[in-house]
Amino acid sequence: MKGPRERSHLHAAPVACAHCGLAVPEGMLRPGEEKQFCCNGCRQVHDLIRDWGYEKFYGLVEQQGGVLEPARPTGRAFEDLDDPRALEGSSDEEPGGRCRTRLYLEGVHCAACVWLVEKLPEALDGVDSVRLNLASAVAEVTWRPGTVKLSAIARALDRLGYSPHVHRAGAARDARRAEDRATLVKLGVAAAGAMNLMFLHGALYAGEASGMASPYETFFRWVSLGIALPVLAFSARPFFQTAYAGLKSRFVHIDLPVAIGIAVTFAASAANVVRGSGPVYFDSLAMLVAALLGARQAQRAAQRAALERADSLRGVAFLEFARRLEGDGPLAPAVEVPVAALAPGDRVEVRSGELVPADGVVLFGRSTLDGSVLTGESAPVPVTEGGAVWAGVTNLGARLVVKVEAAGEKTRVGALLAVVEDALARRPAVLRLTDLLARRFVQALLLLAAAALLLALPLGTEAAVGRVVALLVVACPCALGLSVPLAVSVGLMRAARAGIFVKDPDALDRLRRVGTVLLDKTGTLTEGKATFARYLGDEAALELATTLEAESSHAVAHALRASLGRRVNVVREVTEVREVAGRGISGVVDGRRLAVGNRAHVEALAAPAPGELAAHAEALVADGFSPLWVAVDGRVVGVGGIGDPLRADARATVDALRARGVRVRILSGDDPRVVASVAARLGIAPADALGGRTPEEKRDVVASLVGAREGEERRAPAVVMVGDGVNDAAALALADVGVAVLGGKGASLVAADVVLTREGVAPLLDLLHGSRRVFSVIRRNLAFSLLYNAAGAALALLGLVGPLLAAVLMPVSSLSVVLSSALSRPFPAAARRAARPHGAEA
Amino acid sequence: METIFVLLPLALLIAGIALALFIWAARSGQFDDLETPAVRVLFDDEPAPAAPRPAPGEPAASPAPNPPETTSDAPTRRTE
Repeated sequence: MKGPRERSHLHAAPVACAHCGLAVPEGMLRPGEEKQFCCNGCRQVHDLIRDWGYEKFYGLVEQQGGVLEPARPTGRAFEDLDDPRALEGSSDEEPGGRCRTRLYLEGVHCAACVWLVEKLPEALDGVDSVRLNLASAVAEVTWRPGTVKLSAIARALDRLGYSPHVHRAGAARDARRAEDRATLVKLGVAAAGAMNLMFLHGALYAGEASGMASPYETFFRWVSLGIALPVLAFSARPFFQTAYAGLKSRFVHIDLPVAIGIAVTFAASAANVVRGSGPVYFDSLAMLVAALLGARQAQRAAQRAALERADSLRGVAFLEFARRLEGDGPLAPAVEVPVAALAPGDRVEVRSGELVPADGVVLFGRSTLDGSVLTGESAPVPVTEGGAVWAGVTNLGARLVVKVEAAGEKTRVGALLAVVEDALARRPAVLRLTDLLARRFVQALLLLAAAALLLALPLGTEAAVGRVVALLVVACPCALGLSVPLAVSVGLMRAARAGIFVKDPDALDRLRRVGTVLLDKTGTLTEGKATFARYLGDEAALELATTLEAESSHAVAHALRASLGRRVNVVREVTEVREVAGRGISGVVDGRRLAVGNRAHVEALAAPAPGELAAHAEALVADGFSPLWVAVDGRVVGVGGIGDPLRADARATVDALRARGVRVRILSGDDPRVVASVAARLGIAPADALGGRTPEEKRDVVASLVGAREGEERRAPAVVMVGDGVNDAAALALADVGVAVLGGKGASLVAADVVLTREGVAPLLDLLHGSRRVFSVIRRNLAFSLLYNAAGAALALLGLVGPLLAAVLMPVSSLSVVLSSALSRPFPAAARRAARPHGAEA
Repeated sequence: METIFVLLPLALLIAGIALALFIWAARSGQFDDLETPAVRVLFDDEPAPAAPRPAPGEPAASPAPNPPETTSDAPTRRTE
């Protein structure tokens, strides 16, 4: 579709846009100007950057390897931000009458953006500081309400190409942040303790070898007890807590053997210090705690990129503002107000390309609405005066005036988002892989301890206890505890580089055995918007046709403009425009008589279509497109297709999934006939193509599939839902694994476990493949660590393990697990370049 | 050798101070964002080029209703 056209263009006019670097279309070329731009958005942003003297920005972008996209300033006045209701939950009062507000910025892509955005205080009086977080794209702006209005700050950001959205920090994000900090402090204490204990114990081991005066030895042992105490009481607390919580719910967690090991080690060593004889193992203990906490912190860090992103999207409201008409009549001036300020009876204006802010009735204007995000319907719906509209649908055509009937949570989309929140809250907790191993491990440990006690009893009680303690110290599953978090964190980082963001690492476990994949249609299997493609015929005529369609607000016109509009900026004279509903449009463009529409429409004004074009049209119909014919001066000269084309990789992906024995089904809100046609082209049985489902029905389909396996064994095949729209979000949340594809809307990205940031559905295969690879790394790690534990246990049974050997064996075994994880490549590195989801790479 | 009874606690005290600093840094959120500060230091700050100072309060206070086309309320560079 777009590909070859653009390429031919590049060939003809190899001028790069001075802002984003894309090819400048012919119509936008301004002869004689040094700098050329691909669109007005880029020109505006570039001019502002130049006026402010920040052209260094472009150098930084290049240096950082960032890729600029065509700028799309919204041109909004952001007056709604001056209403205190809009800022609830996003702003804090600062001392000195200042205000700190969090804004989520669209279009943040690399470090250069940090530089530019943080220059704002220099350019705008009243802005004290701006701090932009690259990973979450959330900026904290400190400003003085007396000097500057937030709307002015927002306008400035918008005109720099970063459309701002008020960001409300959620409780989940705050809790995660607090936990991150607490874990880090615990890790710091454990690491500091481990390092100091190593020094002290080094001296003790040396003293043991060469002789050490007993007062010094006693002193060293008491000091090491003092250092080990905070490590046990503070840093190791999470292990005791989870082990205890597990025991209470009659469940053996991996932390249980860890907690047993830590407790026994500490108790025995402390007793020996007090007694003044016998081995002490404080160094091993602190090292163990530090290593386990470190591995868990690594996993959290690897998850962070995906979580930050989801959190920043969760903090942005789906509907933010409305243009409320102040005064009577349809042409009264509009003022932007926050959606929260809307009340039934208000009249709002909805401009072309904007979302309808509330449920209501059209008072004035006629247009076409795209509700695909909410309903999954691919075909835009026409609307006229008196027609009902729903919050969240996009106005594709002309300006509408809508009388509000319901706003906020009472709207359809408000209820839908409540369903998503509900589904997210109902997510069941799942078993983790190492937890399953933990039970066997504890059983084996207890058996071994009993055996050691029996074997060593003849040597005397004291020696027997010493051997059991040595066994428990050396068998403490340090490497086992490291195996999973390290393998998973490497997996998550490699996945992120391949453009796959995994929020929930347990999803990798569930993805190893996939039974059913449910694919949304609109926006997932297809591109999600009507486009004009595969045109055959006279190119000049197509340009005239696009000019003619520019007069129309019909959905076909919109598709044509969206696909080709950037090319046509030449001013032409258009007269005698006549639109025939459901058929097409005709008129005179630059003196040439044009007809554009379906076959009957153009043949009424021209000779019958030539056979070559008719054959092409039939091929288009077979591929699910509606043919759009063009006739000039009584001759049919071209035909192209209007439709929502399948993604290029859809067929191959579906085939590959089926080859793996996965049942592939379509779950769509679109017209069942359209869904059936897509299914036929993908080779999916009609029974597996479910169309016309509401978001609630989608959720119920997923819930029943997940529920149907309840009785089966634990490792039953997983149900995976893949989608992009708000209508998929509840289903994504309830599936075993929810996957959101590129271009997904906020709610679906929040609900999904995995977010794909590469075009198409093919990354799904990488995801399935990568999950298995991660688990083969985990198995390898487990083998290493169990080998070590078995060898250590055998030595302990024979009474050969002392503190020094334990202190040496532990890091050696852990190192093997670290290496085994770090060297793994579960996700293809080749796709690295493609992953550029806002800072994840930088 | 008796000096060890003084030196060891002293060394631990210093280690303790370092640990306390780390805990303070972690609790005040200095490790929350490990990515942005790493790139932020790469930008050298040159002295801001001189530019005419706008009329006080002009750029911000003007409540232009519809700014995209007009650049009248374009925030102008402030001289330091």
